[in-house]
Amino acid sequence: MARLRIQYENGDPERVIEFDPAKAPFHHDGRPGSILDVLLGHNIHLEHACGGNCACTTCHVIVKQGLKTLSEAEENEEDMLDKAPGLTPTSRLGCQAVFEDTNAEITVVIPRFTINQVSEAAEE
Amino acid sequence: MSGAPSGRTVQIARVVRMLDRASDTRSLFLEPANGRPLGFVPGQFISIQIPLPDELRSRAYTVASDPGERDFEVVFNRVPGGRGVEWLFAREPGDEISFVGPFGSFTLDHPPAVETVFLAEGTAIAPIRPILRRASTSAAHPQLTLLYAAVSERNLLYCDEFRELAGRDRGVSLETLVGPTTEVHRWLRVETERRYVLADRERSRQFYICGVGKAVIELRDLLRGAGYERRAVHYEQW
Repeated sequence: MARLRIQYENGDPERVIEFDPAKAPFHHDGRPGSILDVLLGHNIHLEHACGGNCACTTCHVIVKQGLKTLSEAEENEEDMLDKAPGLTPTSRLGCQAVFEDTNAEITVVIPRFTINQVSEAAEE
Repeated sequence: MSGAPSGRTVQIARVVRMLDRASDTRSLFLEPANGRPLGFVPGQFISIQIPLPDELRSRAYTVASDPGERDFEVVFNRVPGGRGVEWLFAREPGDEISFVGPFGSFTLDHPPAVETVFLAEGTAIAPIRPILRRASTSAAHPQLTLLYAAVSERNLLYCDEFRELAGRDRGVSLETLVGPTTEVHRWLRVETERRYVLADRERSRQFYICGVGKAVIELRDLLRGAGYERRAVHYEQW
């Protein structure tokens, strides 16, 4: 079983999911077995304004533990991440980062802000 | 307005008009319920909340019209098995739609400083249309070229408008192709290579590419591989 620990930069309570990556997909958005797919399939919300198609940065997460057990980022994801505020060396898009180790132990932080929220706020 | 599960602000818009642009393609014109024009940057999309029997699904639709207008347009086509788009096809004037956004960074908000090439197919012209219109607003804008292809003449959306723009503005040029999808992708690739890779060594142009599937990535790789700066090749893959 894999374990995904979710921490929130805004102080929301931490969540932990245990699951079998071989049973992916868990939902219909994001790459099967991705962080987004796992979260949505376990009724934990992660923003994904573009539908999980690597066309925005609203599912930006920071991987604190277990980065190497996730799929490598492709160029599309890197291009998109370049536009994410609060970018870190371990940033990933939740819709693209796929669990590749059935026993992975991964911790992610959900950042407080995204570039899109800034855009949205500017409108109001 | 009300709170979305994520805490984002949900907005309401009312369908004021619909227009069938091709047998499988429709535009909805939406007026925000708050009476104010939707604030967005050309190229951005909204995330429409689609109430299906078993869930509330969010799907992204690019705003195909210009900022500042009383209503805004989304254009979409039928997709096999696309439950969300079927719901959209069933909307009628007077219906209300919930959405969040706008979102997205495939945008251009000011007339560009360098020659700009737009590559698009079918409904993927949606973000390109307001971007091109914004790019052409400056009297002294650099050359703007649109290469646009679709599976039928009717699926070449907004083409009369683009032709009219190219007719009155020498700085804008338009080339189109009608053909099957494989030919559409081949033409975009071959023309891009012929014009912008082989014809000269100029590498200061920028590109905006929007289309479906891996053809977009092939164009991106062709241009970046030929020496164009990574950040000069903007793309959105549907």
